[in-house]
Amino acid sequence: MVWQFSWLLLAATVQAASLSLQSPRFTISTPDATQLRSDTLSLTEKPEPLTLGPTDTLKLTFQITESDEGKGVQPHQTFLRFYDKASGEEGIQPVRVTPGGKAKFELNMVRPPASIPPTTHNPLEVSLILGSFVHAPAQYDLFELYLPASRTPEHPDEASFHVLPAIKHTFRPEQKSPPQFVSAVFAATVLSPWLVLIGLWSKIGVKVPNLFSLSIIPFTALLGAFEVLLVWYWVDLKLGQVLLYGGILAIPTVFAGKQALYATGEWRAGRK
Amino acid sequence: MRLLSSALVTLLTLTTFSFASSSSVLVVLDPSLDRENYSIFFGGLEKRGYNLTFRAPKDTSPAITDYGVPNYDHVILFAPDTKSYAQDITPQSLVGLLSENTNLLIALSPKQTPLTSLAAEFSLILPPPETPLISHHPARSEPQTTIPVTVSSSSPILTSGIPPVWFTGAPHALGSTPMLVPILRAPAESFAADSTSDADSDALVTASEKGGEGLWAGSQMGLVTGFQTNVNSRVVFAGGVKMFSDEYATKELPSGGPPGNALFVTDVAAWVFQAKLKLRIDGVDHHRVGESEAPKMYTTNDEIVYTAHISAYDSETSTWKPYSGIDDLQLEFTMLDPHIRTSLLPVSGSPGTYQVQFRAPDRHGVFKFVLNWKRKGYSYLESSTTVPVVPPRHDQYPRFLSAAWPYYAGAISTSAGFFLFAALWLAGDVKGERKKGSKVE
Repeated sequence: MVWQFSWLLLAATVQAASLSLQSPRFTISTPDATQLRSDTLSLTEKPEPLTLGPTDTLKLTFQITESDEGKGVQPHQTFLRFYDKASGEEGIQPVRVTPGGKAKFELNMVRPPASIPPTTHNPLEVSLILGSFVHAPAQYDLFELYLPASRTPEHPDEASFHVLPAIKHTFRPEQKSPPQFVSAVFAATVLSPWLVLIGLWSKIGVKVPNLFSLSIIPFTALLGAFEVLLVWYWVDLKLGQVLLYGGILAIPTVFAGKQALYATGEWRAGRK
Repeated sequence: MRLLSSALVTLLTLTTFSFASSSSVLVVLDPSLDRENYSIFFGGLEKRGYNLTFRAPKDTSPAITDYGVPNYDHVILFAPDTKSYAQDITPQSLVGLLSENTNLLIALSPKQTPLTSLAAEFSLILPPPETPLISHHPARSEPQTTIPVTVSSSSPILTSGIPPVWFTGAPHALGSTPMLVPILRAPAESFAADSTSDADSDALVTASEKGGEGLWAGSQMGLVTGFQTNVNSRVVFAGGVKMFSDEYATKELPSGGPPGNALFVTDVAAWVFQAKLKLRIDGVDHHRVGESEAPKMYTTNDEIVYTAHISAYDSETSTWKPYSGIDDLQLEFTMLDPHIRTSLLPVSGSPGTYQVQFRAPDRHGVFKFVLNWKRKGYSYLESSTTVPVVPPRHDQYPRFLSAAWPYYAGAISTSAGFFLFAALWLAGDVKGERKKGSKVE
């Protein structure tokens, strides 16, 4: 800041005549020419920020004079600078000045000029930059301007240069089980026919005279081993192991079964 | 596998070491530029261990490349006004150099040269030929085209507190590509114009209006702009060559005091020659919680630990050192789209290590751990590891569900029933009438 200020001091010494701004005035009007706000601009104090709607027009008029004689001049550079302090975006709009130093600028928000930077909800700082080959340069902070927010297309790769929003995966909810009591009741229902069976058996009595017969017991035992294998499969084993053990078990079972059936056949036919 | 990867890393490290220690630079210097006038810049480079070779643009030797292999690690093109070069320097060959990891420092000028069209390929939009940057601000005794430019301290490339630098040359507008790294921006009051009197002011207005060529004005323009390619080679376009000169390095500023040119060009050279902000991923690993080896495949809902090791290049010792300074690293777990994006934070107490633990999504498929960290000025960090995520095997599901009790009971009941029936039928006796002899006989 001090550095810039010292430049200004230097400017005053280097070139005799400097540029100055006379009767700056702004008007904001709607499309049906109703004036919303109109005022002269003070160069020492910024006015209340100006706000433009999407169809409003801002008119800015001023005259540039030589500070010594008050004669109007046309400087080389008469630029309006629109600067968004928050985003750092900037737009430069040259203003046409008559040889008499009079200038008029119109900003119609229906067709904003390409020089207006992309806008957000932040205000644009508007300043006037004057430069000349013969006069000392000057710069005036005019006012703050609120414009409707604009949308600018972004480069497709731009997103990967910033922190992206975090993404959380939504997991499926855990499966719900019915109350264990209900499951137990139904399991009991499924097992209840055993009660009937055992009840009826107890009435008629069961005789197994050949249970421990040498022809029968091996097959019964092997059949039992198959049942145990299946339970083991459920609890721990993998399919390959089951097929292996089952295959091994099947060979004696076939012979034992044949023997058992042969023996039963003999008994039933009454040969023994 | 691990042995192989560590061997690869070692090999890579070794090659990079040799790359860094040799650091040969070819300087293509236009004969109209006096080498003595650039002694501060070139001398500084030599002092930092760079091996400079000079050649004029039209010389045929030493060649930039031999059979497509670059002969130099870095190339400086200080021939802003040269319109014709020897055959081996064309915009295409320079792009080829960049893809072979050679870095370029290129000076432009308001003149139209082959390098102007090269700059356009890097998304820099130059003003019409012969329109240099001029600024009436601040009032000074130098011509309007000799401009003191304030250096922004926001760029990570530059050391903070560099005084304004003198600049003469052409500005450029920046395209929208994010690979551009603005290093020095034009002053807000400056603009590109070929006029020499106040009467030309209407031409500026016309240029900016519809149908005009446009107006290059304001601080959105770049004066020195870098570009980092996808293979992490770097190129810097400077709008003018004079900012590197001894004349500008010693010229007093309008506000008094020495200018920042010498410091500024040193920083620019350090960045473009990969001595600064150079990062790399040493390796990544991933495993289930409680294990240490990467499994062949993950099961849905597994808790996964992902670790990345990152180091930064230290140009003073020419070594890679673990780097924990990234606080916005993100890891994506993607299948077509990211299913999970989470921040990958540095592990305190373990330099260069970044780790995160997360639960694999309950979707199966071929997933990728994607690390894609790109920030302006820094080397891009990219890593992608493919892992399959499978549903649980048939025997990995819970086996004793309370909801299935009736079914278990049914199955066991049937099974037991069959066994009981078989045993009874075989072991039981046939009561009552036992036929004497059978019908079959």
